[in-house]
Amino acid sequence: MDIQTTGLTRRFGRVTALHSVDLAIPGGMYGLLGANGAGKTTLMRILAGVLPPSGGQVRVGGHDLTTGAGRLAVQRRLGYLPQDLGFYPDLSPREFLDYVGLLKGLDDTRARRRQVDELLELVALTEVAGRRMKGFSGGMRRRVGIAQALLGDPALIVVDEPTAGLDPEERVRFRTLLAGLAGGRTVLLSTHIVEDVAQTCQHAAVMAGGRVVYTGMVTDLVRIGEGATWEVVSAVGAPPPSGVVVSAISRTDGTHYRVVSPTRPSPDAVPVAPSLEDGYVTLMQRSAGLSSTGLKASH
Amino acid sequence: MSELLAVGRYEFRMQARKRSLWLTMLILATVIALFQGPAGPRYLPADATAPEVMAGWALLFGIVLPLGFGMVLADRLVRDRRLGTAALLESLPVRPGLLLAGKYLGGLAATALPVLLLMVVAGGYEAVHRADPLMLGWAVLAFAVVMLPGLAFVAGFALTCPLAISAPLFRVFFVGYWFWGNMLTPDLMPTLTGTLLTPIGDYPASWLSGGLALFAGTPGWLSFLRPEPGAGSALLSIALLVLFGLLPLLVANTVLSRRRHAA
Amino acid sequence: MAQYSWPVPLRRAGSRQLWRYEARRAGWAAGVAPPAALLGAVAMALLAGNGGAGRRQIGNLLLAGPEALLPLAVAMTAVTMVARDGCRELQLALPTRYAHTLGRRLGVLALAAALAALVYSAGLGLSGWWTGPDPLASPLVWAPPTIWLAAVAVLLAVLSRSVVLATSGIAGLWLCEQILADALVGHDWTRPLFLFTTSRVGTGEGWLTNRLVLTLTGLLLAGAVALLLRRPHLLLSEEEE
Repeated sequence: MDIQTTGLTRRFGRVTALHSVDLAIPGGMYGLLGANGAGKTTLMRILAGVLPPSGGQVRVGGHDLTTGAGRLAVQRRLGYLPQDLGFYPDLSPREFLDYVGLLKGLDDTRARRRQVDELLELVALTEVAGRRMKGFSGGMRRRVGIAQALLGDPALIVVDEPTAGLDPEERVRFRTLLAGLAGGRTVLLSTHIVEDVAQTCQHAAVMAGGRVVYTGMVTDLVRIGEGATWEVVSAVGAPPPSGVVVSAISRTDGTHYRVVSPTRPSPDAVPVAPSLEDGYVTLMQRSAGLSSTGLKASH
Repeated sequence: MSELLAVGRYEFRMQARKRSLWLTMLILATVIALFQGPAGPRYLPADATAPEVMAGWALLFGIVLPLGFGMVLADRLVRDRRLGTAALLESLPVRPGLLLAGKYLGGLAATALPVLLLMVVAGGYEAVHRADPLMLGWAVLAFAVVMLPGLAFVAGFALTCPLAISAPLFRVFFVGYWFWGNMLTPDLMPTLTGTLLTPIGDYPASWLSGGLALFAGTPGWLSFLRPEPGAGSALLSIALLVLFGLLPLLVANTVLSRRRHAA
Repeated sequence: MAQYSWPVPLRRAGSRQLWRYEARRAGWAAGVAPPAALLGAVAMALLAGNGGAGRRQIGNLLLAGPEALLPLAVAMTAVTMVARDGCRELQLALPTRYAHTLGRRLGVLALAAALAALVYSAGLGLSGWWTGPDPLASPLVWAPPTIWLAAVAVLLAVLSRSVVLATSGIAGLWLCEQILADALVGHDWTRPLFLFTTSRVGTGEGWLTNRLVLTLTGLLLAGAVALLLRRPHLLLSEEEE
């Protein structure tokens, strides 16, 4: 299910959350990166049919999402995991999935229950399937969330910050799960964690201030950090160097800082090969002063 | 003491920021002021005294404004539990009773603030209308004597009762109670109307106005709570309302402490 | 990796199971509030009886249960139901219209209210305390004011997205109808919209008109709610409580 947005705009009163967003998202796993407040959630909500746009066009699988019929057609084939799923504390995961299945139109009780059981197994919740979700941890709730998104074999899966608040082990599990789903589907992963996109997506878009500031291959994002990534070694206890510190590792000879800065942060700073994180940070720095068209990758 | 003030100040800021609180109070006050009818304070004779006029306004606002007041506070503690902030607050090095007291004081102050301002507006209107600047001072006094004790009484119950019976159910009972305990005439059925425990402020209003404001002292059920209106009975009514408002807080504190120890 | 490719027919949901789930979503308040309101009326009648009230007065108080207290309870509960949903964003992304989901929840409340009122009316009828109209017309005592007040409540809740504003508005309206009863009954244009005609005025001239006007305007308001819920995302911006 491909996604195409043209001039997509969303305003909340005087605040414009999305400024004329143009995006073409093919099938497979697609990452949407951006800092908090970049407009990712608003875009996700529009693509899930939760929020209507204020202007522009949005087509998903050929359906116009701005019409009622188009929205319904998309929602019938959609799996959505909102950033804040919420939950019904009195329901068990099995009941919750059964309920969502019914709302998704899965009328065949036996098939629905079979699917619910398989999904519970997939997200490793079979043992607690009958327990009320009231006492569930954040990770367990997130797993229930991804299971409900998979109900009904959706062609499009939209997940908003799915790994936020998860421990490293669960994050990796989640990423693997999402990547495994991408075959034959479109999975749109919105996150502010660069590593999540680096590990799972070939293509990605980067948003900043309600604008798309980059679209293209994830690997190409690395190049943007070239010439702007430095290693600086400072004495232990000395203040960190100027620029954006991406990492800091203490060693016997001092603290090794990895810094993103358009200019050499100190005379002894050594230029190093950038990572995806460095490219992303550089892009975000530049996007603060440039228009989205000026930054669009040309592949 | 500083902890109590800190909790109270935080609660005050959180409640006072609610747009719905201000909007609700404004709408209710506007409606009741417009439809007050010929018995309302606006139509009191020109020679009516300032305390009489402002006690009238306090009683008039007292008919509906405490409803909004109760609705705001009804899910204050329930919400803390729903959102999980209760556990966070309980983990702080502050005694639970102090937390509850701070919430009570802060919530009471914040929700009473719009009521006070509306009384000042009414006082300002009367000051111009009757060419008596003293009306403004009496507006504040009438708020403090007639309305505030009742609000303190309501706040105690509105904060704690929903913990036991849920906020929606409390809201239903509260409206029914407000009508039964403040406005239903004592000759119709046994009611708290016209007693020292009438939170609408019947006794203090009667004292300020120098006559019978509503039903204070009218013979009826629980006759020992229906003394002759006057300064003494007004002060007794104020004290009783404040004390009875603290009772549910004490009970809630005891129950919550036991639950915590049992957990 | 398991694949989920079996074709499940995506038909319109409306099964009994869904109603059961929505009954749970409506919460226990939906089942408790209506009978609790009616029990409140019985308690008031008992109090009045102890206080020496006459049979007619007690009868009117008992009648006020379904006509005044039940609508208030239903309206207040309806506000909470509409204003709160733990998974609202997910609900809006599902192919079942959110208006239908809310409709089912409110339907559960309506059913609980109707059952409670019918049992209550039958109980009063059998015990000889029913002072309302013909038993067959007894639903006209509680249904019109309940529909009207609940519709206003839900409309307020959807428009304001604030439980506080909606519940205070309903409480204020209910109280004003109580204390301004004489004024409302005294004017031609307000009389048809007076909620408590049966218990405060009686079933004489104008009673049926009053009931019909309340029902029709209530349904109109409910229609306005349904129209507003075609844009359910408005509910996402619910004010902090």
